[in-house]
Amino acid sequence: MFLTLLKRELMLARRNWVAVLIPLFFFVIVVSLFPFAVSPEAEFLQQIAAGVVWVAALLAVLLSLDLFYRGDFQDGSLEQLLIMASPIQVALSKVTAHWLVTGLPLVLISPLLAGLMHLNYAPNGAVEMNHTPIMMLSLLLGTPTMCLLGAIGMSLSLAASRNGMLVAVMILPLYVPILIFGSSVITASLANSGYNAQIAILAAILLFALVLTPYTTGKALKVAVS
Amino acid sequence: MSSKQSEPSSYNLEVKGLTISRNEQPLLEDTDLSFNAGSITHLFGENGAGKTSLMRALAGLLPLDSGQILWNQIKNTHPESNFNQDLLFLAHNLAMKHELSIAENLQFYSILRGRKSSLEELSKVAAELQIENLLERHFSDLSAGQQHKVALCRLVLETVKLWVLDEPFVNLDAKTRDWLSAKMMHFAKEGGVVIFTSHQAIEGLKIHQRISLSHSEEEAA
Repeated sequence: MFLTLLKRELMLARRNWVAVLIPLFFFVIVVSLFPFAVSPEAEFLQQIAAGVVWVAALLAVLLSLDLFYRGDFQDGSLEQLLIMASPIQVALSKVTAHWLVTGLPLVLISPLLAGLMHLNYAPNGAVEMNHTPIMMLSLLLGTPTMCLLGAIGMSLSLAASRNGMLVAVMILPLYVPILIFGSSVITASLANSGYNAQIAILAAILLFALVLTPYTTGKALKVAVS
Repeated sequence: MSSKQSEPSSYNLEVKGLTISRNEQPLLEDTDLSFNAGSITHLFGENGAGKTSLMRALAGLLPLDSGQILWNQIKNTHPESNFNQDLLFLAHNLAMKHELSIAENLQFYSILRGRKSSLEELSKVAAELQIENLLERHFSDLSAGQQHKVALCRLVLETVKLWVLDEPFVNLDAKTRDWLSAKMMHFAKEGGVVIFTSHQAIEGLKIHQRISLSHSEEEAA
């Protein structure tokens, strides 16, 4: 049942591939604005890289939420799904598809942005450290949590309003812990100190969200169609 | 309350003490209704009298203020109830994805019912409704009437026991109306339960029960 639902979501995403790619371009463009706007100096960019990449990723995830929930709500498919499948399965399939077509590409394209933000810059001949895999790991653990939490906000706001900004206002505060630990993973790595604790906390938040949010999202979807 | 002596061949839907409201306006109060196997029920009433709300409540989408809905003597929300598998609810919105082809749309729903309908089955129903050469087209390419016909195909492709149809006859040509009446009578004959709303009288359709909804209170006729 879950696989059927997931397959449908992915098929719809493939038919809507332009809409799916927009958040990815948004991510790349927002990050690439910073060298122009702030300063092209490698040393400086390296310092702000963690924050910039994380904030941009977060906004890109928010931007893409609409696609996976609004359409089904408007054409009545959501009602049919909730009659025929359990709300938790519906919620989980949507979140999984959302992450696969938005979150995962963000993680995969992030090395490009690491280069752009001079993440691996080392001043005059110091031993070069590769921080890119650490950044990808932090995003890999953080983006699914953002998708899971975003799903709650999106489901709650489906019936309430047609304005996507409402979701942003509701959900962004909840993203703060992920943002703090996610970017501090990279900052710690840049400072050559341990980052295992931050990684562990990111993973813990993810597991916690994975267990609890599908239930909440399912309930919220039920409320949205009633 | 939930005595499980249901015979496997007969199905019935019972509503006890149902109270529902929309936007804090009560639509039905403490209403008892029953829909027996093999019966066709026509819900009628003015716009806004609560026909759709009642249907959505029956489908388990609208929360009840009080009362309960029993399917074969088991509460519809009970984990042991097969209600959701047995129910086909067709609403105003056709619940079809514009990005998918007709065949994909219909097959997805039949997979959710547990059995993927084959292409032969699809083309057979589609031929009855004169949309057989549109099966590979995207849903968005169709006219309103054709889109409605696609949704009606689900009645044939999915094996269920209860049809809850909101305005199924609207937008249909005479030929398709006859087709739908015949399907409804056939389904009822096999022991299915049909509940539908319609503003017009449907000639040739044998209706077993009429329920009229009015703004203040409901009275079963």
